[in-house]
Amino acid sequence: MSAVLGNPMVTTAALPLLLGIALALAVRFALPAASPAPTLLWAVLLLFFYWDTLGPPVMPPVAASQKLIYLAFTGIVIGLAPERVSGRATSFLAVIAVAAAFLWLGWRRLAGGSLDLQIVAAMAVGLLTLIGVAMLIAQQGLQSSSIEEPFLAPAAVLALSLSGAIVSVLGASIVTGQLLGSLAALVGGWCLMQYLTTLRGGAAVSWSKGVEFLLLFAAVTVLIQVALLAPKANPAALVLSSLSPLFAVFMHGRLQSLLPGARPLRPLVAGILIAAPAILAIVTAIVWAPRGAALGFS
Amino acid sequence: MRTRKLIAALAFASASMLAAAAHADNYEIDGQHAWVTFTIKHGIYGIAHGQFDGVKGSIVMDKADIAKSSVKAELNVSTIHTAFDQRDSDLKGPDFFNAAEFPTISFESTKVEKVDDKTGKVTGNLTISGVSKEVTLDVKLLNEAQAPWDATLTKAAFSATGKVSTADFPMAKAADGFGLGPEVEIAIDIEAVKK
Repeated sequence: MSAVLGNPMVTTAALPLLLGIALALAVRFALPAASPAPTLLWAVLLLFFYWDTLGPPVMPPVAASQKLIYLAFTGIVIGLAPERVSGRATSFLAVIAVAAAFLWLGWRRLAGGSLDLQIVAAMAVGLLTLIGVAMLIAQQGLQSSSIEEPFLAPAAVLALSLSGAIVSVLGASIVTGQLLGSLAALVGGWCLMQYLTTLRGGAAVSWSKGVEFLLLFAAVTVLIQVALLAPKANPAALVLSSLSPLFAVFMHGRLQSLLPGARPLRPLVAGILIAAPAILAIVTAIVWAPRGAALGFS
Repeated sequence: MRTRKLIAALAFASASMLAAAAHADNYEIDGQHAWVTFTIKHGIYGIAHGQFDGVKGSIVMDKADIAKSSVKAELNVSTIHTAFDQRDSDLKGPDFFNAAEFPTISFESTKVEKVDDKTGKVTGNLTISGVSKEVTLDVKLLNEAQAPWDATLTKAAFSATGKVSTADFPMAKAADGFGLGPEVEIAIDIEAVKK
């Protein structure tokens, strides 16, 4: 049993996928959607995978990798609070949180003063994710009954996490790759169950703003760390990975008029369009990967 | 009479301290003649070897009271090499030495103990990726002599060995033995120039 749980493929892919499915089922059949219980469950799962991948929290955190779990916890605290905070206030909070996370993770690197390609890419990733998260959080406050709407934010987290994981591993940053992979599988399990529900004629469950924030914030902060500290990660692929939240923003309300008759297809089309920059990121990272990629130490 | 005795005592104490200080020699590590090497387990197979170049630092050697000796040294992480470029660049990455965030490794002694005339134990704080852990090195003084070709040049040569665990530092993939790790054996040979 311990050998199975010690296998990174189990903890990075299979286990979070199953837990994502289980969470979707729990939210559908057992938990009141309006309660904070789904947000708490997401928070617990998120912290479990952080702990499993990064180890227990270190106090005080010194290296950026030790700060990630504290950032996730900050995202959870903000995520549990903002149901009362609406629209611009939440977006403003998102801007402050992402900007502060960027500076906290990267201050040693930024204090070095060198403006190389990696730093430029990291700044672009920070800025694009900051704008994307803020806009997406603000947008989810709007009322919408379109079938693809509950999939926009999950698709953004899934695409960013999955492409970020592959770019990270190919850039010789395995731990952040595992973390992003866990997030992608967790959200992937959720999306799968929601889509099956949609195909059976049911309505997918939307994320609360709190869940949206804590998962977006977690994925974005790990991607920012990769951009800042993994010198072998492809800078163009990192920038492309950071675009999915912005693409999700642009999907808002667009497909209703473009594909009015194809209801079950709309979540799929929205997902593919949101994932387009992520797919490009993966292709870029693979094509321009260093020879043998991250296997140099094996 | 008392005042005279006090003055004499103070003079004696000062002379003793000066004499002791005179025994403390200052050395600067000669980076061109410094080999900081390590071996680390490679997966389930053998032993990998690596080396850091660009060592800088200073040594204070007090032969009269070896406990008053001290060592300070710094390594540039970007100089690591293990006979394979790609592994070297991976080792500089965030899962191992994290050179982008912490470009140097440092060692500063806290205690020096004499074992015999030529050997001793140097305990100090080894700082990797911003985390300091106490490490004890077994040190041997190989030689201390004037250069035959230059009367103004005096050098001392030391060998040191020790063990560290990467699990003590934020080196996630070395700590869990992913390819390389977790135990590291260090072997240092340095020459230092007397100042």
